[in-house]
Amino acid sequence: MVNNVEKVDPRELQSLQLYLNEYRQQAEIFSQQLAILEEGRMEAAAAIEAMKGLLEAGESTILLQLGGGASVPVRVDNPEKILVNIGAEVVVERSNEEAVEFMKDRITEMEASSKKVAETLERVRAQMMEIGRRLEMGYQQAQMAQMAHAGPVPAPESDEE
Amino acid sequence: MSTISPKIQNQINMLQQMQQQMQTIGSQKAQYEMAVREAKRASEELNDVSDDAAVFMSVGTVMMQKKKDAVLKNLEEKVETLGLRIKSLEKQETMLQGKFEQLQAQVKQSLEGKPPSAA
Repeated sequence: MVNNVEKVDPRELQSLQLYLNEYRQQAEIFSQQLAILEEGRMEAAAAIEAMKGLLEAGESTILLQLGGGASVPVRVDNPEKILVNIGAEVVVERSNEEAVEFMKDRITEMEASSKKVAETLERVRAQMMEIGRRLEMGYQQAQMAQMAHAGPVPAPESDEE
Repeated sequence: MSTISPKIQNQINMLQQMQQQMQTIGSQKAQYEMAVREAKRASEELNDVSDDAAVFMSVGTVMMQKKKDAVLKNLEEKVETLGLRIKSLEKQETMLQGKFEQLQAQVKQSLEGKPPSAA
């Protein structure tokens, strides 16, 4: 890392640029993770609404989406029984109330994960800012050295002649 | 910018390759670790449901109804198998990390113009 821009050399600038690229990639990944978590949270919230709605309606007919906008009417005989995917490719039957609680727990976990990811993303962005600042200073320093080496720069012509 | 000798360039390329390998191993390990966590959580959830509850498990392309005990056993085996794979990846990771640090030190010494110490 560059501690003193006076002593910056091209290799350090190159290394800073690499760090910046690396952090940029990390920030991209964390942003994607945040989006996935938010999507999961919304999906779980919608599932809770659906389960509660089914319970309220009792025996009812719903539309089962087949994809491509096609659906079939399906009779829900027992909205009290819900099949929940508990992960690891296992689905288990729970009562409607238990399934709602399960989803609520999932939402809580996803919110906690989102918070952690957002904090990490914030730290990565702060580091990116710091590296960007150092890079900018390094490039300015290099430019000034180049100009000094090339001799005095003629004063720009004034427009008000 | 000072030029880098072909030998050092080659070593840097090797370092980059090692880094990529370590990243691949790391992401594979993370996937397995996640699968272990998922299986353990599924076991915990299953322990909470009554023994006669309908439990389905993915078998090929279908979800097949199974007994709770059979699914629990299957999950235990899954955790065990994944644990072994994780250990194997950890060994590879440690070995690669050692080699990487060694080569990195060599490259650093070469770039600083010092003769590399005898390994």
